[in-house]
Amino acid sequence: MKNLSGAVCDLASEVVSVLRDGDHRAVISPNGQGPDAELGVAAVRVLGADVLLPSTLHRHPAAPGDLRLVREAVRTFPPGGDASASTEWSHWAMREALRRHDPTAAAPQLSGAAPDAAWLSRLSWQELTHQLAVLGALAVPPAVAGPSPVVAAAAPRTLDLARGFVRAVRRRDWLQAAGAGRWLAVLDSDTSPVPATLGLDAGLDFVLRMGGADPRVALHAHAARLLRAGAAG
Amino acid sequence: MTAHTAGATARVESAAAPEQDYADYAAHGGIVRGALEWVTAHQDRFALPADVSDPRTDLNWSMKPLGELARLSTSITRTAHTVAEHLHDEEWRRLARHARGLLDFAWAEIAEGRVLLELARAEPHATYPLEIYSAFASAGLRDEEFEEFTGALVRTRAWAFTEQQPNRRLGVLAAEHHARLPSHDDPTEVLRRTWLGSLPEPWTFDVAAGYALTHTVFHLTDWGARPAGVPADLNRYLHHWLPCWLDTCLEDQQWDLTCELLAVGASLPAPYPPDRYRPVWRELAARRAADGSLHEVGPDTEGPDTEGRDDGPPDRFTHRYHSTLAVAFAAALTAAALTAAGVPAHGGRATAFQAGAHR
Repeated sequence: MKNLSGAVCDLASEVVSVLRDGDHRAVISPNGQGPDAELGVAAVRVLGADVLLPSTLHRHPAAPGDLRLVREAVRTFPPGGDASASTEWSHWAMREALRRHDPTAAAPQLSGAAPDAAWLSRLSWQELTHQLAVLGALAVPPAVAGPSPVVAAAAPRTLDLARGFVRAVRRRDWLQAAGAGRWLAVLDSDTSPVPATLGLDAGLDFVLRMGGADPRVALHAHAARLLRAGAAG
Repeated sequence: MTAHTAGATARVESAAAPEQDYADYAAHGGIVRGALEWVTAHQDRFALPADVSDPRTDLNWSMKPLGELARLSTSITRTAHTVAEHLHDEEWRRLARHARGLLDFAWAEIAEGRVLLELARAEPHATYPLEIYSAFASAGLRDEEFEEFTGALVRTRAWAFTEQQPNRRLGVLAAEHHARLPSHDDPTEVLRRTWLGSLPEPWTFDVAAGYALTHTVFHLTDWGARPAGVPADLNRYLHHWLPCWLDTCLEDQQWDLTCELLAVGASLPAPYPPDRYRPVWRELAARRAADGSLHEVGPDTEGPDTEGRDDGPPDRFTHRYHSTLAVAFAAALTAAALTAAGVPAHGGRATAFQAGAHR
């Protein structure tokens, strides 16, 4: 069995490629499954709702094969009773994405209440940035993805996240920086603006240049740039 | 080294005491006292060599430490005095007298200005004698002859176009002001050519930019005496980004720069709030050696003093004299900022700060 992190990176590369092209095509190649099918589903579980991100942001219908794999990941890896909040939330985001992209396929595992998000508002700016970066796949504008308790909890904390972005860049933690940058791209608003002095666009470009060799970094950074450019606004 | 030993004893005792609250005057008073005692115990290392005006003397290890001692003891004297007056507190009066004693020592070392005049005569177009002089002048220690000599030189075109970093240029302008000389440039314009004045992307911060930033603020505020010298956009900018720089400087063990950033926070028109600086001060205070001193960067692995200059730098003294002065400077300014917020002497939770805190 190939290692999981390699499979996650391969899948993230595919997402980046489709995201950048803007083409209407599947993220997961239909003949790319075969003997590594199990690993493929696990990789989908790790990237979560981001597997459907190109369809979400470009407002294309998702490819049936992509939907099938996301559905399978939801079914195969339900959060256990002791699952962390981030596991629960990323599972919730996959379920929500499936409901949006495939409203006819109502299944019992797609229902269920949203997990608690109140804990986010109690975190320091450093912890908040860490947690939200882990939940990068939830950084999608409500205008396209519907209401999200995590987006609502994070919305007033743009300054804290901007500080977290600075800290992550200073620590050369490109994945966290890209995740925080993506959240800032989603949350920047008149009521809670990202400080102009942050220089978010130049910052995203910098993160991409420094850390973009990691496709997970590239995924967040490209998603953020698309959002900044007005996609799905 | 009596003071040295006394300082060590005090620290051992305080280790068993309940945890300090760094929004409290006593905690900062303790830091200032420990640092000043260390400086006094090492006062001979700040003394100038007899051949200081010989061009072959390395001023980085003679005039520079003495100039920094003068600069920071001037600020600590004034700041400790402010706190003492606010609290009617004898301990802070003692600290003010202690710092003033160090300033007087430095003034005696430069023979009340004559050494600076000699240096200025040796290098008439260099700005550093005036920059050092301004620390004394701002404390009221003046030398008419030095001011008269330098006054003619600052009128040259060459002086106005000396090639220097903009933050240092601000320092020269401030020095001209303190020496009652005509100013050769507009500080507002010079400010906008500094790193900080450009309101740079905060993720580009590095150690060099950090020191440029702190010195820009020190020159704008006359080393913490005039918070109103910081324009509103810089005040807001610094409140936004100081937290991330302090966080990463602590992580990188940049103790000296952390002190300077804390001093910047305490010099702002709306001082940096205690809820943010408490954990930073706690960490910094814990990094001090038992003798009250603080080393500049990294883990404290240095051995004992080598005593005397002939052993050559770097030794324990050279790696900690600046950061020890800086921690005293930052602690005194933090205490003074508490007085500005009206925090009372005892049991003072800095509520007034939080009201004015910029998120």
